[in-house]
Amino acid sequence: MIKIYRNIIILSAVFLFATIVSCDKDEKEDIPPTVYNPTTYNMEVPQGFPTNLNIPDDNPITEEGVKLGRYLFYDGRLSGRDEEDSLMSCATCHLQSAAFEIGENHPKYPDGHPHGLNGKETPHFPLPLFNLIWNNEGYLWNGFISKENTNLGIPSYGIPAEPQYHLTNIESLVWMGIVAEHEINGTIEMTEQMIRSIDMYPALFEAAFGDKQINIDRISKSIAQFIRTIVSSNSKFDKYLRGETNLSPAESRGLVLFQTEEGADCFHCHGSAGNPLMTTHLFYNNAKDNVFNDPRDRYGVTGNEIDRGAYKATTLRNIEHTGPYMHDGRFKTLDEVIDFYSEGLVYSEYAHPLMEKLRPPYGKGAELNPPQKADLKAFLLSLTDETLLTEEKYSNPF
Amino acid sequence: MMNLLNYKTIILIVLAAILSLASSCEKDPEPDPQPTTGKLQLNFDFYNEADPMEWGIKKYTNAAGNEYNAYYVKFFISRLTIFKDGEATVLNKFHNSHYVGTDVAPSLQWTIADDIEKGGYDSLSFTFGFNDEDNESFMFVNQPEVNMFWPEELGGGYHAMQLDGKWRLSNDSLTGFNFHLGPGQVYNTSGDITGFIDNSFIVSIPSSDFVINEGNTTSLILRMHVDKWFTSPIEYDHNTYGGSIMEIQEAMEKVVMNGWDVFSIVK
Repeated sequence: MIKIYRNIIILSAVFLFATIVSCDKDEKEDIPPTVYNPTTYNMEVPQGFPTNLNIPDDNPITEEGVKLGRYLFYDGRLSGRDEEDSLMSCATCHLQSAAFEIGENHPKYPDGHPHGLNGKETPHFPLPLFNLIWNNEGYLWNGFISKENTNLGIPSYGIPAEPQYHLTNIESLVWMGIVAEHEINGTIEMTEQMIRSIDMYPALFEAAFGDKQINIDRISKSIAQFIRTIVSSNSKFDKYLRGETNLSPAESRGLVLFQTEEGADCFHCHGSAGNPLMTTHLFYNNAKDNVFNDPRDRYGVTGNEIDRGAYKATTLRNIEHTGPYMHDGRFKTLDEVIDFYSEGLVYSEYAHPLMEKLRPPYGKGAELNPPQKADLKAFLLSLTDETLLTEEKYSNPF
Repeated sequence: MMNLLNYKTIILIVLAAILSLASSCEKDPEPDPQPTTGKLQLNFDFYNEADPMEWGIKKYTNAAGNEYNAYYVKFFISRLTIFKDGEATVLNKFHNSHYVGTDVAPSLQWTIADDIEKGGYDSLSFTFGFNDEDNESFMFVNQPEVNMFWPEELGGGYHAMQLDGKWRLSNDSLTGFNFHLGPGQVYNTSGDITGFIDNSFIVSIPSSDFVINEGNTTSLILRMHVDKWFTSPIEYDHNTYGGSIMEIQEAMEKVVMNGWDVFSIVK
C-alpha cells in the first residue's frame, strides 16, 4: 500500500515539475545570441518639415551605412572599371557645389546635359539629390520609380523586364545608374567585383551590414542611406520662417508674388511658407509645348490622357544652382524661366488647370513687369542653402 | 498506519498545488463584457448628375452652359458631428479634420476613431473646410495636406477645396479653372487687404439617419455631387470670374451658397 502511495507521490511530483516548467516557458522569451547592432543614424527633422519619411523597412539608416554609402557615392570605380576615363559614380553628375545637380560649367558636361560612359546622352536632364527622404510620390521626372510601380525593368533604358530589376525607391536609382545605357552602361557583376577588390571596402561593409559580403543590394542600400541624409533646410527663407532673419523688401514682395494668384501663382505646384520642401512632388504639364512625343513623360507611366507632357514639379530650393532648367534643360538661366512663366506659355489642351494664366488668345503667363520679375527672382534666390553646398558630412570623403 | 497518513497528507498537498498551479496557468479570462459601441466609416464618392464622376478629360456641361472637365477635387471636412434626439456629439476631436483627394485612394475611406454608442442616430453634419477658429497656418507638415496651404497674405490656414479643371472659351480653346475655396479678403479702395472673411460653412445632410450596432462598423457613402457646385441657387459661369478665384470674394461667396446641397448620404 505504501509503495502505491509512494509511486503516486513521485508521479505527482513529476507532473507538478512539468506543470511549473511548462508554465514558466510560456512567459520567457528566447534570448537571441548577440547580433550585429549598428548605430541608428539620428535623422533630425527640421522645424516645419514633414514627419513622414521615406525609409524602407528593410533599409534603416545607420551611421555605418551612411559612412559606406558616402564613399561609394563618390567612388568612380562604381562603374566597375578603374581606368581614368571609365570612372563614374553618383557624384560625377550630382555635384555638391551645384546642390547635388549638374550645375553650370560642369567640367565634363559644359552644356549641363550628361552622357553615359558610352557617350549616349541621358533622356532627361538630372534632378537634384537632396531632401529625397521626403519624396513619397516617385522618383525621376515622370515618377516611374515608386512604391506603386508594378512594372519590371525599363527596356528603353536597356534594363530588361526581369524580376531582379524592379524599380521602387532610391535604392533602385543606384543600380539603375549602373546598368542604364546612358549612364555607366555596365553590369552589376562588374561593379560588385570591382568594389570587392578594393581593400578598404570589406571592413566598411562589415561595419554597415554585419559581415564582409559585398553585393549590389548592399551597395544600393548604403548609397540610398547616404542620399536620404542629404538635407537642405538652412536657406535664408528657412531662417525667415524660423524667425531668425527678415527678408529684404524685394524678397518680401517676391514672396507675395510667388504665393498669390494675382501674382505669379507659383505656390500651388512649388510649395510655400507652409510647405518648405518647395514642391508638391506632383506632376504637371506646365505649358511648355503643344506637341507631346516624349515616351518618358508622366503619361508614359500612367497612361492617363491628362498626364501628356506632364513632369514632376521640381523643388525650387537652390534653384540658383540647379540649371539648366526643365526636363530637357531648355532654359539656361533663371531669368529665362521667369520670362517663360511671365509671357511664354504655349497653349495646348493638355496644359494643367493650374496654369490658369494660359488663356488664349492673349493670356500667355503672369505678365510680370521688370520690377516684379526682379522681386520674384530675389525671393527665389533666398531659397539658396549655402550650408548644403559646403556641409562637410556630404562632401567627398576621399 | 502513521506512514500511510503522512503519505495521504502529502498527496493531498501535492494535488492541491497542482490544481492551483494549473488554474493559474490557464489564465481563464473573464468573458468580455458585451460591447455597447460601434464604429462609423465614411466612404467618399463623386457623381455628376446621375452618373459617377469621371475625372480627367470627360466633358460635362454646367448649368451656365460652360463645357468643362475636372481633373480632381481635394478638400477638408472638419468638426464631424452626429445627432441623436437633439443631442450633438462631435467626433474625431483629436484630429478634427479629414483630408479627401480623389487622387489619394486611401483618403476616400475614413473610419472614424471614436467608439460610438450603439443606437439610431438622426443625422450628421460637418464643416466644409475649417472655420476661422480652427484654420491655423502650419498645423500640417505632411503632404498632401500641406499642399492645401492658404497664403497668410490672403488669410492663412488651408484651402477648404481645390476643384481644378478646364472649361471651353467662346473661341473654342480650353483654359484652366481653379475653383478654390478658403478665407476671403476685404479690400479697401486702394486695393489693400483690410480684413478676412470666414468662408467655411456647415453641411447638414438631410436623410442622413443611421444605426450603430455594437461591435460593428456602419459604412455610409458620403457623396459629392460635383455638378451642384455650379448651380442652386447661383448659376456659376466660369466666364464671369475667370480661372482663379481665391482672391475674388464675390466668387467664393457663390461657391459657399451653392455648397449647401452638394453632399448626400447613401446608405
